[in-house]
Amino acid sequence: MLGQRTPIGSKTILVVEDEALVRFDMTDFFEDRGWQVYEAENAEQAIALLDRHGEIRVLLTDVEMPGAMDGLRLAHYVRERFPPALLFVVSGQAPPSPQALPARATFLPKPFDLHHVLRQIDRSPVG
Amino acid sequence: MFRAIARIPLGRTTEDTQLRSLLDRLRTALVAGRPSFLARYGLSSLAVGGVALLRSAMFAEFAPWFLFTPAVVVIALLLGGGAGLWATLLAALCASITLRDVPPVGALSLMQVVASAIFIVTTAGLVGLVVALRHALIEADAARTELMRSAAAAAEREAFLTSVLASSTDCIKVLDLDGRLTFMSEGGQRVMEVSDFNAIAGCHWPDFWTGQGHVEALAALAAAREGRAQSFVGRASTIRGTPKWWHVALSPIRNQDGGYDRILSVSRDITALRESEDEREHFVRLAENSTDFIGMLQTDGRVFYVNDAARRMVGLDGADVTALAMTDFFLPEQVATVTSEVLPAVDRDGHWSGELTFRHFRTGELIPVLYSVFPVTDIDGRTVGYGTVTRDFRARKQAEEELRLLNGELAHRLKNVLAVVQSVTRQTLRNASDVQKASQDLSARLVALGAATDVLTNASWRSADLRELIERALAPHGEIGVRILLDGPCLTLKPQVAVALALALHELATNAAKYGALSNDAGRVDVIWQVRGEAPEARFRLDWREQGGPPVAEPTRRGFGSILIERSLRSYFGGTAGIEYRPDGLTFAMDTQLGDAVMTDGKA
Repeated sequence: MLGQRTPIGSKTILVVEDEALVRFDMTDFFEDRGWQVYEAENAEQAIALLDRHGEIRVLLTDVEMPGAMDGLRLAHYVRERFPPALLFVVSGQAPPSPQALPARATFLPKPFDLHHVLRQIDRSPVG
Repeated sequence: MFRAIARIPLGRTTEDTQLRSLLDRLRTALVAGRPSFLARYGLSSLAVGGVALLRSAMFAEFAPWFLFTPAVVVIALLLGGGAGLWATLLAALCASITLRDVPPVGALSLMQVVASAIFIVTTAGLVGLVVALRHALIEADAARTELMRSAAAAAEREAFLTSVLASSTDCIKVLDLDGRLTFMSEGGQRVMEVSDFNAIAGCHWPDFWTGQGHVEALAALAAAREGRAQSFVGRASTIRGTPKWWHVALSPIRNQDGGYDRILSVSRDITALRESEDEREHFVRLAENSTDFIGMLQTDGRVFYVNDAARRMVGLDGADVTALAMTDFFLPEQVATVTSEVLPAVDRDGHWSGELTFRHFRTGELIPVLYSVFPVTDIDGRTVGYGTVTRDFRARKQAEEELRLLNGELAHRLKNVLAVVQSVTRQTLRNASDVQKASQDLSARLVALGAATDVLTNASWRSADLRELIERALAPHGEIGVRILLDGPCLTLKPQVAVALALALHELATNAAKYGALSNDAGRVDVIWQVRGEAPEARFRLDWREQGGPPVAEPTRRGFGSILIERSLRSYFGGTAGIEYRPDGLTFAMDTQLGDAVMTDGKA
């Protein structure tokens, strides 16, 4: 339902990363490029932000995070609740199998290039 | 033990010897053989006839019977009783004929008839005596021959028994009922290394044994005394002191009365056998004491033997393993592999070794093993079974798994550190006024990052000692204990916050060196940390206080340093963190829940 009122093409991103130094850097990167950035340290915070901000178009989440839900499960949750969202799953571990990833999700091994992420977002069909 | 047959010498004279020789010859003639009927009666008739002719020629009227008597005696002696009687009758007849030649011719007078009758009777009696003598002589000869034969047989038997005793390598002894040594065979003296039997004759036999052997010897002796045979195995030294193992059998020797008056003891030297048994026992212990799984299968695949380590490994303690087959040990999915690959390879190559999985018989636990199997052959090269020495690979597999996880974890951490470096680099470049400054700042920050990494690595990334972390982060900026004073309890920091705190301290020190207390020769920095309150509300507070530096003015633009310090520490530690630009010196204070920053229970 939230997904249905998502403004198509909004430059809104949710960054979920427990390592603050990395998270701040990503936030600065997207803000410098005119994006509305929401930050979360863990999946619980991320879900709360998603519920409040249905306009979020892109989710970029780390896999390894403290808390009950890891990034992979968060990605699945978002794919179900907000089908149009663009998903980026980041990890320092070995990549998960394609079956383990939600549909239309991109896996990024750490460290990754934020410019590359941005280009991929720009290329993605809106909606 | 064997009584020697002694010949008693006789005191003989020369005449005795001559007579004896004559009698021997006569006896030889007598017993040489029994003449035929014709010879006996013909010879006796001829002899009597001869005497009659001689008598008529020489003594015609003198003692008509007298000359016949010696002839009849000789005939009876040489040709037997029958011939003697015949000669008697013939002699009486011849004498009668001669008497008839004497007048009055025609008939014998009564006197002559009576005389003839007396002659016949006395001569017949004489023949009887001679026959008795003859038989006595024959019998005596036969008895003597028999005696000589039996003496020879006895000597032969004795020689045989003596040689048997001498050649036996057993120690054959005879004891009296008190257990005293009365005889020892020659072979026995050799194995017992006895040089002089007299030295030990009469010794109490059980005293040759010590310890348990002595007890056994006494028991066997008591049993033999009661008529029972008993044996035992014991250790005793030879007379020269060579230690040996013996198998000893004691049995009573029955005498003619049916009682026992002596005891036979037969000891066999079994030292070599015992040693080979010991050797075999060593091989058994080798298998039994191995910590590897050692087992043997029959050629049909049934289990013949498994050692204790094997029983422990697969949970078969106390079970009857011979009811099991080789395939029972493996994971069911691997049985086909074993029968179609392993066993043919053993037959083909004589050996197979590889990783397989056993199954614990009780718990079902899977046990990775290095399985090694080979044919066991007998002395002729025939395969009598299959042997296996199998190593438990659980610990090794676990170690491999741990190593794999460790490598994964290391890669993960490395990538996370690279991600942090990437962020720090980008932040540095983003806030730098020129490339030169960006380069300097970045280098210094990476050094601080490296120092924090060192502290973490020392604790295997599980924790970081706070004082060490602070010292390492600040050491490049001033001597600790002189310009930079540290004061706080011993605390262990959580690894997640260590890198951020090290970077923050680095930024503070860099700022102090440029604009603050470390920029002149007089200023100093106090770093104070403390824990207040009790768990779970306990709090951790860290203060950075500069004094003695140039007057402080709040900067117009906040750089990466202060942003990082306040923003990241707040985020990492989940408490408050703030910088105050006081005129007399910059201060920084961080206050957080103890549990968010510090290891309280030893776990991350």
